[in-house]
Amino acid sequence: MKTIIKIFIPILMFLVYSCELDNYDGPDAVIHGAIIDADTDELIEQDVINGTEIEYLEHGYETPATQYMVIKNDGTYRNNLMFSGTYTIQPVRGNFVPIDPIEVEVSGVTELDFEVQPYIRLKDVVIEKEGSSIVASFRLEQTVSNNVAKIGLFGHPEAHVGASVRTMNVERSINGVVDPETEFTLEWSIPDNPSADKMFFRVGALIDAPEAKYNYAPARKLAL
Amino acid sequence: MTRIFNILFILTFIFLTGCDDDFLDRSPMDKIDGEAMFSDPEGVKVYMANLYYQLPIEDFTYFRDGFNFNPSDPNNGGYLAAMTTDEAVHSGWSDMVRDWDFTWWEPAFELIRDINILGEEIPKLEISDLEKEKLRGEVAFLRAFAYYGLAKRYGGVPIIAELQVYDGNLEALKVPRSTEKETWDFVLNQCDIASEMLPSSWAEGQRRGTKWAALALKSRAALHAASVAKYWNDAPLSGEAVNQGLVGMDASEADRYYEECIEASAELINNGGFGLYGPNPSTPEEAAANYQEIFVNPNSVPEEAIFIKGFAIPGTNTGHNYDIWYVPNQLANGWPHPGRMNPTLELVDSYESYSQPGQSFPIVTTQDGSINDYSGFDPGKDYLRFDDPSEIFKGKDARLWATAVLPGTSFKGTEIIIQAGLVKPNGEAIIETKDSYSHNGVTYHTFGAPDWPQYSGFDTYGENMTRTGFSFKKFLNSDEPVVPSWNQSTTDWIEFRYPEILLNYAEAVLESNYSQDNAMSKAESYLNSIRKRAGHTTDISLTLENVLRERKVELAFENKRYWDLVRRREYHKIFDNSTKHALLPLLDLRVDPPQYIFVRKEVSRHPNRTFLPKRYYKPIPGIGTNELVQNPQF
Repeated sequence: MKTIIKIFIPILMFLVYSCELDNYDGPDAVIHGAIIDADTDELIEQDVINGTEIEYLEHGYETPATQYMVIKNDGTYRNNLMFSGTYTIQPVRGNFVPIDPIEVEVSGVTELDFEVQPYIRLKDVVIEKEGSSIVASFRLEQTVSNNVAKIGLFGHPEAHVGASVRTMNVERSINGVVDPETEFTLEWSIPDNPSADKMFFRVGALIDAPEAKYNYAPARKLAL
Repeated sequence: MTRIFNILFILTFIFLTGCDDDFLDRSPMDKIDGEAMFSDPEGVKVYMANLYYQLPIEDFTYFRDGFNFNPSDPNNGGYLAAMTTDEAVHSGWSDMVRDWDFTWWEPAFELIRDINILGEEIPKLEISDLEKEKLRGEVAFLRAFAYYGLAKRYGGVPIIAELQVYDGNLEALKVPRSTEKETWDFVLNQCDIASEMLPSSWAEGQRRGTKWAALALKSRAALHAASVAKYWNDAPLSGEAVNQGLVGMDASEADRYYEECIEASAELINNGGFGLYGPNPSTPEEAAANYQEIFVNPNSVPEEAIFIKGFAIPGTNTGHNYDIWYVPNQLANGWPHPGRMNPTLELVDSYESYSQPGQSFPIVTTQDGSINDYSGFDPGKDYLRFDDPSEIFKGKDARLWATAVLPGTSFKGTEIIIQAGLVKPNGEAIIETKDSYSHNGVTYHTFGAPDWPQYSGFDTYGENMTRTGFSFKKFLNSDEPVVPSWNQSTTDWIEFRYPEILLNYAEAVLESNYSQDNAMSKAESYLNSIRKRAGHTTDISLTLENVLRERKVELAFENKRYWDLVRRREYHKIFDNSTKHALLPLLDLRVDPPQYIFVRKEVSRHPNRTFLPKRYYKPIPGIGTNELVQNPQF
């Protein structure tokens, strides 16, 4: 038995040792930036989950797989694990008028902003607690002639609140072109035993366009 | 030690050198080659049986892992397509459709290759020309069925209608995807060939494709294609696959496909000699019994069953597991995993009532009649009270009683106890918690009985109890106790049932506003004939809402709902951060004697679910090597 073990241990070590370390270099570059409203220079609010995505293809391969990045709620994005190289990059399925893909050389820390035209801008947003309700009022400025499909008020205990991250929502169908002067109001009555003491609330409006996502105003934290 | 090594060393040499040159040329003793197989008509039959077995029939063995999921250990939790729709929830799991669920790619192309091998062999067979024509019809039917299974999952796919031969050139074997439109057209074309060549029935009553099965398939496939064309814009996708037309169709195609559906359905309805089983029941009870009979014993309803897939031998891969997975907990008979299928309140609400025909009849639980309050029990509310829990369902469509086990009703001679809790005399409620409470010298149990084998609802024990308030009945044997082991059920499966064709016809007529040949009034009479069979006595008008509701309840749990939601692009609207609903029967001790009240509520332990539009198509595997264009967002 001992002999066998003596034989096997060297063999095992030989087998294990004979693997080389991975001989490829790790990711060495960073890309970051934001989705920016070309007219107002403001960041365009997004959804982290099921929101706008950034598609990118790395050049130099015969059949490169499409890779995806998500965008933070405030409209910024960052990928610290990129490989240096040339990429075709395009934000897709977003809450702005689609833009063409951009070719970009990524090396070191590369900053790349996308200047776009949001479908809808939310103006004069006020979200307040009034009595036992949360009341949100706002106006909509649409930049395209499509219908506004619906508007919504979303709430969640986390700051990532949105159409996909929510524990409450009040949505209303509009299905029409809106007058920029019209004030919309959405109201949510706080239940007797709310699931959290404080919640983040965010209002949004969805345009009726293929694969469009909600446009938002920044979230507001309110005590219930 | 050294000696052993020496011996082994020598032996190794003997073994390594002991091969004859012709070792690899010997024919195996346990297999026969193609020539021997196909030279005998019996061999062709055996081969054919294997092809039918591989068809994408969504029967009792269709789960998210794929088709024919009944190997020696078929333990997959019993999670199936109905549970990802609004028809049901699983007693323990709440998953939505995942990327690779319900996919069918590699087995599909294996089947297509096997079909093509047969297609090549037919001219060489020593049988009459008439027999050859039947076989060619069968090849077209099998091919159409296979491509229908692919097209509804992937959109456009590579069309391989001839046997591929590998001659060293790998690239020649790579067939690019056809467009979605071309693929559907191919399916319909193969259905046409099949319906021309196939006989109306087979001698000896074999379960093979017939002219009518081919027309039924065409009816179903054309309706799917038409719906995709018409409703594509409700959830449009983008990307390379869309640009090339590999998924999606133009709305202008819709009417053509609807017309194909209408023609195929009309041919089957007018000339197929099919009808409804028990078309004129005298009571709702008789209607319920008739309806149940169709699914428990499909062979006794030849007028209604257009195409059947058989299950034969218990304990093998021709047995299935519906009875053990879905029987109410009280009837588990020692089986550890019953009660998985819990029909939802949404489905139960959809059934009409005999008193108010032509509309869904939601279960009303309170005096004020509100049905949209899911906030749970509130002692201040005025609940309707019942002596017997099943009273609240009185007057609902017979098919509800035959599809679901309702609280307090009897199944296999046992009263099925489904109770979610009790309300103490002071108005405090104990809900979905195992507990008991003594009042006036009587001990009441929250779940209706003291121990877990004695009730079937709301306890989390083993995930064996319903959490919606309803258990499952359709398809389940209603006489014999379950046999507590795998693959013991041998109920046959009806793949094409006459009412589906009637409803396909009605939907296609309405959607395309088709008026030739008196189609509207025919469609209305078909709709009402199905309702009449279910015990209704008042006719309703032909509206899309009525037809779709009828489809939902008549075909419930037949694995149709999933594809109805897909083809009509309703999935992402119904599942937009949404949950499903339950009906909680509570024993109310505030009155004497205690009575039952009901609470409409969200299903417990069920997170909200979203269906992403990209899931209207499935991802294609292996695009690195097969070089196909991937579907959007995968």
